[in-house]
Amino acid sequence: MARANECASCASDGVRQAVHDARVVRNDRMTDALYVMELEVDAPDVPAAAAPALAAAIRPGQFVHMSIPTLPSHILRRPFSVYAANAATGRIEVLYQKVGQGTAEMARWKPGQACDMIGPIGRGWQVPEGATHALLVGGGVGAAPLFMLCEELVGRGVETDVVLGASTKDALVCRERYALACGCAPSCSTDDGTFGREGFCTPLVEEAVAASVAAGNPYDYAAVCGPEPLMRAASATMADAGITCEVSMEKRMACGVGACLSCVVDTVEGRRRACVDGPVFDARKVVWR
Amino acid sequence: MTGPKLAVNLGGLAMKNPVTTASGTFAAGREYDQFYDVARLGAVTTKGVSLDGWPGNDSPRIAETPSGMLNSIGLQNPGVKHLVEHDLAWLSEKALAGEPVPVIVNVSGHGFDEYVQVIEALEEAPVDAYEVNISCPNVDAGGMTIGCHVPSVEEVVRRCRAATRRPLIVKLTPNVTDIAEIARAAEASGADAVSLINTLLGMAVDAKRRRPKLARVVGGLSGPAVKPVALRMVWQCHNAVGIPILGMGGICTGEDAVEFMLCGATAVAVGTANFMDPLAAARVVDGIAAYCEEQGVDDVNELIGALEC
Repeated sequence: MARANECASCASDGVRQAVHDARVVRNDRMTDALYVMELEVDAPDVPAAAAPALAAAIRPGQFVHMSIPTLPSHILRRPFSVYAANAATGRIEVLYQKVGQGTAEMARWKPGQACDMIGPIGRGWQVPEGATHALLVGGGVGAAPLFMLCEELVGRGVETDVVLGASTKDALVCRERYALACGCAPSCSTDDGTFGREGFCTPLVEEAVAASVAAGNPYDYAAVCGPEPLMRAASATMADAGITCEVSMEKRMACGVGACLSCVVDTVEGRRRACVDGPVFDARKVVWR
Repeated sequence: MTGPKLAVNLGGLAMKNPVTTASGTFAAGREYDQFYDVARLGAVTTKGVSLDGWPGNDSPRIAETPSGMLNSIGLQNPGVKHLVEHDLAWLSEKALAGEPVPVIVNVSGHGFDEYVQVIEALEEAPVDAYEVNISCPNVDAGGMTIGCHVPSVEEVVRRCRAATRRPLIVKLTPNVTDIAEIARAAEASGADAVSLINTLLGMAVDAKRRRPKLARVVGGLSGPAVKPVALRMVWQCHNAVGIPILGMGGICTGEDAVEFMLCGATAVAVGTANFMDPLAAARVVDGIAAYCEEQGVDDVNELIGALEC
């Protein structure tokens, strides 16, 4: 028998969560399926020292668990990685894809729509001390959870390269923002060849790693978020090159606080909760299916 | 002005209010204690525990359904030793620092022996009552297979009864022809209370992919969708047994809880609603108190079985 989850309720990293009221500020349709929603998030109704304003507290790679109050027969919350946060305005942005009835409903929300969210949730990106050269790989909406990390790395003076893959040119909705943050254009691929390299972005990842080695400036950190085949392939590339790599796992989730064990990820240490033990995991510890 | 009296007694378990949590939706309370002091509840019911720990089922483990959800977690748990050393230890430390909260440990097993072994491993631990889970639809052995069969119910309850003097609650499955018959068997074999309902066996299908939405194909349905079934079964058991009932199934508000009490429940458990709103169980406590004040109910015990029909 596989080892059971050894410490399901005592592995969380002590992030204090709270329920925050929020209102939609804007809900921009980027493509038929992709939307960026900006929300103004209130401080929770508890002592401020215990749970500070979400937009100030959230770390790169963490997420929020949003209610869909306009669809009461859909009882579960939806987890969304935070794409950008502004501590000064108290606003956050989420990039979401219309995949089911919950996200289709969100796409209909107008500015002013109220909802609430649990946050900040989860283990975000953990860049090693002393990292100097980072590669960020985002597939599809997986580009969003990496953007705050990109800003932080650039702010810390870490040389940061970005690879983005998407189905088509219009779906590369984060590209220009990354270019502004990094000061250089991300390396892109599209499935249909309408922008950048045609096909998946995995060849671009391999080429970036090879080029960094050839230039005598190899990456010492990689962060990958996207479809599981991309994360699995990129993890293998990084493992072969000896590069520390993290991945952000997405699983169907119920509670979002670590209690229900719906969202488990198979790891070499047993089954771990994507919500609070992740969503970011050391790529070497994930057991890919 | 003093508020209504909310204390109840569930088969020897004194609760300061009628609200606990449904096993498996609340871990051991630590995750929710950051949202409110879980000692506000009448009791905390911990996630089902087995002797050596189980890895649970493959993913996907949940699917949302209209006004409900299916789960097939499969009783993933790290084993009784871990529960004692980590979760029960945390609850004890918390009790020392503030108000104590009674702890109901949900006990699971693959067979009769394992239920008894888990109880034996907990007899020295700070536990206030046991809930014997003979109703999980998500494990292949034990669980629901025991809870559907009267002689098996009698056997497991009798053996658990012999292993402890603590209050013994037996959790029933709704996936039977006559739940009253199972409740009577539990009572006759020494149960101090019955809890119901566990989840209803169900299925969800992705038509475009022609695949089940759960890796295990079938799972347990919970949430507001099951409340009418749960109310009906609590009412049937109330008319069949003399021991108290812990009612659950889709409770989201104080008024939902009151409906269960009117049908005969002495106490109630909040389950899936914890996922919808992490403050749900505390809000149900407040909601019951508000109902009593509004309706001129001085003692919540007046509500138990007070349905007029």
